[in-house]
Amino acid sequence: MKKAILIAFLVTTIAGLGGMSVHAQAKTTLTYIISQGWMFDAEQALGKKFEEKTGIHIDYQVIPADQYTPVLKTKLNSGEAPDIFGGQSGVTDLKLQYDVEKNAVDLSGEAWAKQEDPLVAAQSTLDGKLYGLTIWDIYGTTWVINYNKAIFEKLGLSEPKTYADFKALCQKLLDAGIQPIYEPFSDGWHHVLWFPENGPRYEEVTSGLADELNLNKAKFADNETMLTDIQQFKELYDAGYMGQNALSDTYADRTKMLSSGKVAMILANLTFPQQVEHDYPDVKADTFGAFVIPLADNQNLNINPAGPTKFIYSGSQYVSEAKQYFDFLTQPENLQYMLDNTPEITSLPFSGVKSKLLESQQAFLDAHTQRGTVYQTAVNYVNPQWMDIGKDLTAMVTGAMEPKDVLASIDKRRADLAKAAKDPAWNN
Amino acid sequence: MKLRSQYYPFYFVLAALALYIVFFIIPSLSGIAYAFTDWSSYSNDVNFVGLANFKTIFAPGENYLKYISNTLIFTFNTSLLKLVLGLALAVLLNEGIKHFVHIYRTMIYLPAVLPTLVVALIFKSILNPSTGLLNTFFRSIGADGMARPWLVDPRIALMSVIGVDTWKGVGYIMVILLAGLQTIPREYYEAAEVDGANSWSRFRHITFPLLMPAISVVTVLNILYGLRVFDIVYALTNGGPGYATEVLSTEIFKTFSQGQYGLGTAISSILFLILIVAGYIVIRLMDRERVRE
Repeated sequence: MKKAILIAFLVTTIAGLGGMSVHAQAKTTLTYIISQGWMFDAEQALGKKFEEKTGIHIDYQVIPADQYTPVLKTKLNSGEAPDIFGGQSGVTDLKLQYDVEKNAVDLSGEAWAKQEDPLVAAQSTLDGKLYGLTIWDIYGTTWVINYNKAIFEKLGLSEPKTYADFKALCQKLLDAGIQPIYEPFSDGWHHVLWFPENGPRYEEVTSGLADELNLNKAKFADNETMLTDIQQFKELYDAGYMGQNALSDTYADRTKMLSSGKVAMILANLTFPQQVEHDYPDVKADTFGAFVIPLADNQNLNINPAGPTKFIYSGSQYVSEAKQYFDFLTQPENLQYMLDNTPEITSLPFSGVKSKLLESQQAFLDAHTQRGTVYQTAVNYVNPQWMDIGKDLTAMVTGAMEPKDVLASIDKRRADLAKAAKDPAWNN
Repeated sequence: MKLRSQYYPFYFVLAALALYIVFFIIPSLSGIAYAFTDWSSYSNDVNFVGLANFKTIFAPGENYLKYISNTLIFTFNTSLLKLVLGLALAVLLNEGIKHFVHIYRTMIYLPAVLPTLVVALIFKSILNPSTGLLNTFFRSIGADGMARPWLVDPRIALMSVIGVDTWKGVGYIMVILLAGLQTIPREYYEAAEVDGANSWSRFRHITFPLLMPAISVVTVLNILYGLRVFDIVYALTNGGPGYATEVLSTEIFKTFSQGQYGLGTAISSILFLILIVAGYIVIRLMDRERVRE
């Protein structure tokens, strides 16, 4: 009898373990690597809801930003990439950094693809195929000149329409003892924005310039509007409009400086006023207004439709499960959840999602129908040399380089990068 | 008992030699070989391109010669300053100061054990043109003209970096020289005093020649460190403003970060060559000096 009970116990235990094993095998885990800063807590919370609903677990592997690209590229090159990987959209990066035609799954037929802002989707599209899902604040992160409305009103200043207007108002501010512009050179990247963010103006003056540059049929050094842009940038620096300590000023101090009322303007995200209010609750977001970068008489709104994007690895065993995850994330209620629970973002590029932009900011966007894509996204081989352009511009304002040489230097680096990438436009 | 041979058999060294070849010689040679290719992160193909990377480095209009020049200026100045100041401090602590010698020695050595990043952050704050301690001090004593944009003026930024690096490294050099000084027998000085030698004569004819081995060591260490410098420059100025303080190692780092591995390896090979030549020349000069003394 005892023997029979023991056998029965063993049989049920083994059967139970077997069942557990079958159940464990049924649970799918999707591995997802992403750079730090691209992952929101709200997305991970949604991941848990997704697991509850489908039984599919998402293993988020967040990698420090400075190590991310080499890690991802090693995994892609060795054929051992995770099921989902993060990357920066933009046609150059899609091809050069991630080789999406080989490494990513075509998502053109997904239901959410129709809901995504076409300008944003275009940056994840190669040869008519959509490869990535971009859940990122595109409009709130637009770089514009934020200004202190109270200072402007006090001095009777109005938003400039031309560079001459801008220069004149800077002089009036300086005469009134107020530093006109806060420009933190020391971080190495911020002051670069003044140049490629003005891409829509270059395109307006020379139609089709971005395409010509990408086909190696045009050079930065030959473009007068670009030259004007950086010459005017230098003029602003030389005139002292960026303060005496611009070269040692830091981006981290931007809200402190603008909230102090000692500085009138900064080139910052459209949602910069919310950041100031967050850091200094006494200074309300509506203290600030915005206008577009007025260098080279620009009046276009500069949009960067590229941003951190999710791709499904073509070698994944779980492509349909990964597509399910993307589908879940892009349900309107889940997008809204992400927006409402992420302080860093104010809008998402999907229809049916209510943005957190201030009324004045939405009005600003609505009023600027004349827009274009920034050149770090529209033109190949500009974004990878961002910090080098920063060094060139610093060398230019300190007198070690001429504006023309800065443009020639950009052309040179573009050629080097294009040749390294074996771009046919440079190698024929 | 008579030993059969005074040498160990050659095969005793084979295991160590194999490890050395696999983990040092082969990677080093392959590294140099990659300098002649177009290896980059943008393509899976690696093609032989001859001297193209080196032509790029030495092409007119390129900044690489400026980086080499900055590296040499940094190396020469830091080596000289650390040696002179380190020697002065070592002599002072060995002979001049009688009390609290251990405390002074520890204080002077302390910066050498601080992480470079910490030193750089402290000095970035001290040398800030508007809020920094140094300029604030100058302004407070009415010497406004002395207040300078230390790290952001291209004319003086490299010298500021050299100053900070000297402050950080002089203690280490002092300790090596102090150890050398303490090996010199007191009797030599006593005999020299009896013969009427003054302080300078004692230093010139006793201290300096007998300290030569220690001076050789610190000179080689300083030069090799200077030629390979990276962290203090990267953390203090990141090669800026513009390219004013860019050195070979920061440029190598940047080139590799951009995925231009072939070009980066070519610059590394040049640095490697400079290191070998500089090391060889210094050691030969020092040896000659020692023989002469």
